[in-house]
Amino acid sequence: MTALTELANVVLQEGASGPAIGPTAAAALAVGLGALGTGIAQRSIGAAAVGAVAEDDDMFVPALIFTALPETLIIIAFVTIFVAN
Amino acid sequence: MSTTDDYEDSNYEYVTARVRSRRSKLFDDDDYRKLVRMGTGEIARFMEESEYETEMNRLGSRYSGSDLVEYALNENLAGHFEDLLRWSTGQLYDYVVRYLRKFDAWNIKTVLRGRYSEAPRDDVEADLIDAGEFSAAQLDELVEAGSVEDVVEVLDRTIFGDALEAAVEDYEGTGLLVPLENAVDRTFYEHLIGGLPDEPDRATGLYVEFLEAEIDFRNLRNALRLARSGADMDPADYYIEGGRLFDADELRQLVANEDQLVERVRDSVYGDDLDDALDVLAGAESLIEFEHALDAALLEYADTLSNRYPLSVCPVLSFVLAKEREVDNVRAIARGREAGLSPEQIEAELVVL
Repeated sequence: MTALTELANVVLQEGASGPAIGPTAAAALAVGLGALGTGIAQRSIGAAAVGAVAEDDDMFVPALIFTALPETLIIIAFVTIFVAN
Repeated sequence: MSTTDDYEDSNYEYVTARVRSRRSKLFDDDDYRKLVRMGTGEIARFMEESEYETEMNRLGSRYSGSDLVEYALNENLAGHFEDLLRWSTGQLYDYVVRYLRKFDAWNIKTVLRGRYSEAPRDDVEADLIDAGEFSAAQLDELVEAGSVEDVVEVLDRTIFGDALEAAVEDYEGTGLLVPLENAVDRTFYEHLIGGLPDEPDRATGLYVEFLEAEIDFRNLRNALRLARSGADMDPADYYIEGGRLFDADELRQLVANEDQLVERVRDSVYGDDLDDALDVLAGAESLIEFEHALDAALLEYADTLSNRYPLSVCPVLSFVLAKEREVDNVRAIARGREAGLSPEQIEAELVVL
């Protein structure tokens, strides 16, 4: 607990001069979390897509499109890098 | 079959996608309209060009006519349901396997009826569906049994044993199969709902809701049959526990008065779904039409649930029901054509949404 308070003090002292993490680090965090979200979304969609393709080969293209849709999340998260710099 | 691992996730997405795709490949209205106007040979050819191709080609050299159609239908059904079990994991597997015990019940009833009517062994075997918990060896043993009592003895060690043994006296007294068949149904439903965990989990809730609907419809059907036949039997003997529409005492009173029974159903949660069916009942002389309307209503209810909760066990159950209806329908058409019924008469026998 005392260690935590000391850490908080250090952070606050540092914080006086600026944010705890820099803009580049924050952007990296944003991209990482975006990628995580994409992964979670694609887990379900991918499973369903494989199921659909297994039943009917014609479903391959729609399945691919829907599986790739959550990629937009990570692409938009990517933009934060350029905004941050 | 492997046991269910509690920590394994259910793969609802995968199974639902496959099941929905298969569901959309079932015969539709147009197909049925064509089928009822065909002879048995044409029906067989039509099925060869549909998804029954593999089964038809394999069995084509051994059987012909409506027997071929029947064998192919049963084999296809069993194949589909085995696939369901193979795909699903975790909780979903558990739900599906419980529900498919229905086919054990079906097989037992088929064998009982076959023995009762002294049908030839082959005919009985043609109607068995190898989709439940019983192994092929167990089914063979059932078919080999010489009399109704032997069948009951073979089942001694299964979950159906106790109930059947209790019902066998009743059967010997009345000479009717109804007590035995109800014992089988009741055991099936009791095991289905009884073993489920009590926690109010959404998926389990839906599953139970669906099963309750099915039990209620089954009770309703039994009640109406008793009311119409005027038989002097206690309806509570045939009551299946677990529904939410009536309890045993209520059922006993309602059977005496059919109008009250209909009114009761109209006011219940199923009122909207069953409105059409109840109108049919009011106008129809026979129960057959109403029973078909009940089947259609259950199918529709399953569809509604599966649309509302896409990532649950409901789409799978809805597929199972729809597939069963299709098999029943095609069988009715093939047998009806063979017996020389007119297309209109056959159409009245079909359950189509």
